[in-house]
Amino acid sequence: MINFLIIIFIVTLLYMAKNEIIKQYIFILALQGFLLFFIAVLELNQIEVGQFTLILAETLFFKGIFVPVFLSRLVKRNQLKRNYKGLLSGNASIFVGTLIVILSFSMAHALHDEHLEIKYFAAAISAIGIGFYVAINHKDIISHLIGFLIIENGIFLLSLALGGEMPMFVNAAILLDIFTTVLIMGIFFGRIREYFHDAHTDKLSKLKD
Amino acid sequence: MLLLFFTGSVLLAVLAYFIKKKIASHWIVIIHALMICSLTIHEFVLPGQVQLVFFQSDYLSHIFLGLLSIISLMAAFHYIGYARTGEIPVKYVNVHNFGTILFTTAIVGVLMANHFGMLWALMEATTLTAALLIQHDRNEASMEATWKYLFVCSVAIAIAFAGVLFLGFATSDADVEGFSFEAIRNSAHLLDSNWTKACFLFIIVGFSVKMGLVPMFNVDIDAKDASPSPVGALLASVVLNAGFVSIFRFYEAFSGTEIHSWMNNVITVTAMLSLLFSTVYILKVRNLKRLMAYSSMEHAAVAMLAFASGGIGYFAAIFHLSLHALIKSTMFFQVGQLHNIFGSKLDYNIRDYLRINPIGALVLLACLLSILALPPSGMFISEVMMLEAIFVGQPWWLMLLTFVLILFIIYGMSKRILAIIYEKSPSNGAQIQNIRRWESLLQIGVILIVFYIGFVKPHFIVSIIQSAVESLP
Repeated sequence: MINFLIIIFIVTLLYMAKNEIIKQYIFILALQGFLLFFIAVLELNQIEVGQFTLILAETLFFKGIFVPVFLSRLVKRNQLKRNYKGLLSGNASIFVGTLIVILSFSMAHALHDEHLEIKYFAAAISAIGIGFYVAINHKDIISHLIGFLIIENGIFLLSLALGGEMPMFVNAAILLDIFTTVLIMGIFFGRIREYFHDAHTDKLSKLKD
Repeated sequence: MLLLFFTGSVLLAVLAYFIKKKIASHWIVIIHALMICSLTIHEFVLPGQVQLVFFQSDYLSHIFLGLLSIISLMAAFHYIGYARTGEIPVKYVNVHNFGTILFTTAIVGVLMANHFGMLWALMEATTLTAALLIQHDRNEASMEATWKYLFVCSVAIAIAFAGVLFLGFATSDADVEGFSFEAIRNSAHLLDSNWTKACFLFIIVGFSVKMGLVPMFNVDIDAKDASPSPVGALLASVVLNAGFVSIFRFYEAFSGTEIHSWMNNVITVTAMLSLLFSTVYILKVRNLKRLMAYSSMEHAAVAMLAFASGGIGYFAAIFHLSLHALIKSTMFFQVGQLHNIFGSKLDYNIRDYLRINPIGALVLLACLLSILALPPSGMFISEVMMLEAIFVGQPWWLMLLTFVLILFIIYGMSKRILAIIYEKSPSNGAQIQNIRRWESLLQIGVILIVFYIGFVKPHFIVSIIQSAVESLP
């Protein structure tokens, strides 16, 4: 079952790599939030109330509901439909995404670590790589935000590969940090649009040497 | 005590946000800076107590808490002057003061954390609170800098978090109790070296954004340029130091293992590239704040190079970063005054400063001598110690390259700053406004402290730094 969910997660990553429609990005981010919730719950050896609550908060509520709703409102307010066409086209992006996934799996296998959950590790590295690709390929700040959220999903999977090593309080602090980051980034996204009347990164070139 | 400090800080931040009068809001920030001073004294008198499970001060925390106390107090006083210029609305001032209190509180947390996960979480908190400070002026430049800082720092800190997770992989075989510094240090020899290498690499990349080193230095430069000078002063001093402390914690934990020399190589590469980039930009830039920012990058790079050289380099690096924090923040405050007087940050618009503001010019000259590590500045002593460490611990050609690059930097910095102080310009007379001499007097106090520390090298400061590095090989 977990393998199946991981495969769906990787497919969503590839779709993210080629996508250019903002609404679809948001839908897929919500889907990834739900997938991560089920993966995390299935991974638990025993259900502890505290740990379960934290997973529920981080995946289902935060990644699956809060972020998509927040982004939808942001997109609606700023009347965004598509992000700026990327440096590489849709098909080339699929190719790059696939390459990242293959490299991630090869890397995970090459590590030969018995404690390493290869499937989580490879999916995590793929998500981090594709997150970077989305942020770099499209020259607009909404893609930066979406790229960052994909990277965060990858980091979450990486923490699953590690197991529950962090104390509850530290996990809660980390969750609070990520929550605030998304919130503040969202607020500044609106401000940037106000000041520059556009979300293209080429407009952000006032500061230079 | 720490619980009291954190609770008090949050309450003061909320109060500073909602209070209607500017001056009352400023006083709240000053009270908070005094709270940091009290906490520093408390930790110094009663060291080593574990507080709130994840915090425990040590000698390294004492050094940088002391610096944070002085610099945050200075920044609070200078911001009062900054907020008086122009028509800065109460709302902007309140948001700034709210952000300052939370920001310095997060820095205190970073300095006192004894757990790698908590260290990371508080480092991220410094990014978020710094964003509130950088956006202060609400113009295109500040918005651009804030967005870039927020985005790149968040990505960098996420990379650092991956580093923390790799540390988790490294502990899989070793029976390690949690992620506390002590637990990791005690079982470092049992850790998987490949994972500890990956951890350290990701940590260096992630926290380079805070220290202003290669590869993630750009946003740090923009942030210092676009923010008010008291904020630039904090970013160039306490944030740089917090970045150093974070890297130090990981370095110290792994220093007893086989990857010690590998870590030194990674730091050396990062430091040399940073030195190279900073030299190129120091020779090129005309914006004074960016010049200061690149100068910070240069000092951080040389300090890290000395640190990676080992031996006396450990002591010299911490000593140098401490003096640098005091001088560079003072220099930012003075550049803020120049900006206020001349209405420009570009060096060719600022001339004849000695005639216009002799006290300010004296401060600028003393800062220049310090930052170039020339006598009678204390930084001369620390730089000589660092060069000695590099000479002993690094190949001769690296020492030579460092020396040549520093010479270029001395030329670039002195050319710009000396022209500002001495060069006459007939067009300046009409533009002069708002000289706040009391600010320069405060700055002279800090410069005298640096001169005194450098030359007298008080025994208690030397012994604290020696104790901070005694665990290193």
